[in-house]
Amino acid sequence: MYVCLCKGVTSHTVAEVVAQGATTTRKVAKACGAGSECGRCRHTVRAIIKAAPTAPETR
Amino acid sequence: MHSLVIASDYRVPDPARVPRLLESRKSALADIGAHHVIVHASTVDRGRVLVSIAVHNPEPIVDLLRSRVFFEWFDAVGVEDIPAVFAGELVDRTDLTDTDNPGPPGVIVAAMTSVQDVSGLVERVHFALDRFRVAGIRKTWIFQAFDDPREVMILQEIGDENSARRWIENPDPAAEWMDNAGMGAYPPLFVGKFLHMVRIDETD
Repeated sequence: MYVCLCKGVTSHTVAEVVAQGATTTRKVAKACGAGSECGRCRHTVRAIIKAAPTAPETR
Repeated sequence: MHSLVIASDYRVPDPARVPRLLESRKSALADIGAHHVIVHASTVDRGRVLVSIAVHNPEPIVDLLRSRVFFEWFDAVGVEDIPAVFAGELVDRTDLTDTDNPGPPGVIVAAMTSVQDVSGLVERVHFALDRFRVAGIRKTWIFQAFDDPREVMILQEIGDENSARRWIENPDPAAEWMDNAGMGAYPPLFVGKFLHMVRIDETD
C-alpha cells in the first residue's frame, strides 16, 4: 500500500522503520519521509505504528 | 503499455455525490490515463466507499500517485486524511456465474492484505472453486501489488447479503486473505454494492 503519496512511501517501508525504532509519526517522517510533506497520511502511519509487534507511543 | 489498478477505501460525507463529482473530473482522469472508474458503496458501514481506477500509463506509479488529480479528488469528496492506496495488476479472475440465470447484481466483499505467497494462493483458490460456488461466490478477482509481491487486493462478488455474511463469518480455508484485513495500513473487509462506473475515452 502506498501510504504517503507526496513522497511515494509504502506501508512496507513505514513498517520497516517502525521495526527499527521509529515509534512516533515524527520519527517515521524523519526516517523515511512519510508524512513529512502535507501530513494527511499520518493517521495511516499511526495505524502501522499501533499494529507493530511492540507497543509504541503514536505522537 | 503499463496497465494497473489503483484502489482505495475511505469514508466520505455523502456517497451519493461521488458519481457526479467523478463525472465532472473525466478530463483530469483522462490526463492520468484512467479508462474506467468503479465505485462501490458499503452496505454495512455508512459513508464508506471503495473506488477502483483502471489506468493505462507509462509513468512510474510513484509519479502517478503524486499527481494533483488524487489530492484534488480527496479534497472534492471531503476526505481530509488521505487513505493508503493499493496499486497493482490483475493476476487471476474466476467467474462462477450461472450464465443461464445470472441473477441481480451481487454483494462485493473486498480485502486488501498480505498473504504468504500469491501464486500459491491462486492455486488454492482454483482448487476450492467448487466450494466457492456452493458458498455463493460468483466472481473472484485477485490483484497483486507492485510495491510488495505478497500484498493483494481481492474482490469477490457474492450472490446476496446472507451468503456474504456467512462467507465473512465462516470463510473457506482457501480464503486466507480474510484473516489479516484491517491490520496496520490495511482497511477492514469492505462489504458493499456497485454504485457507479465512469468510462473515460481519450477524448474526454
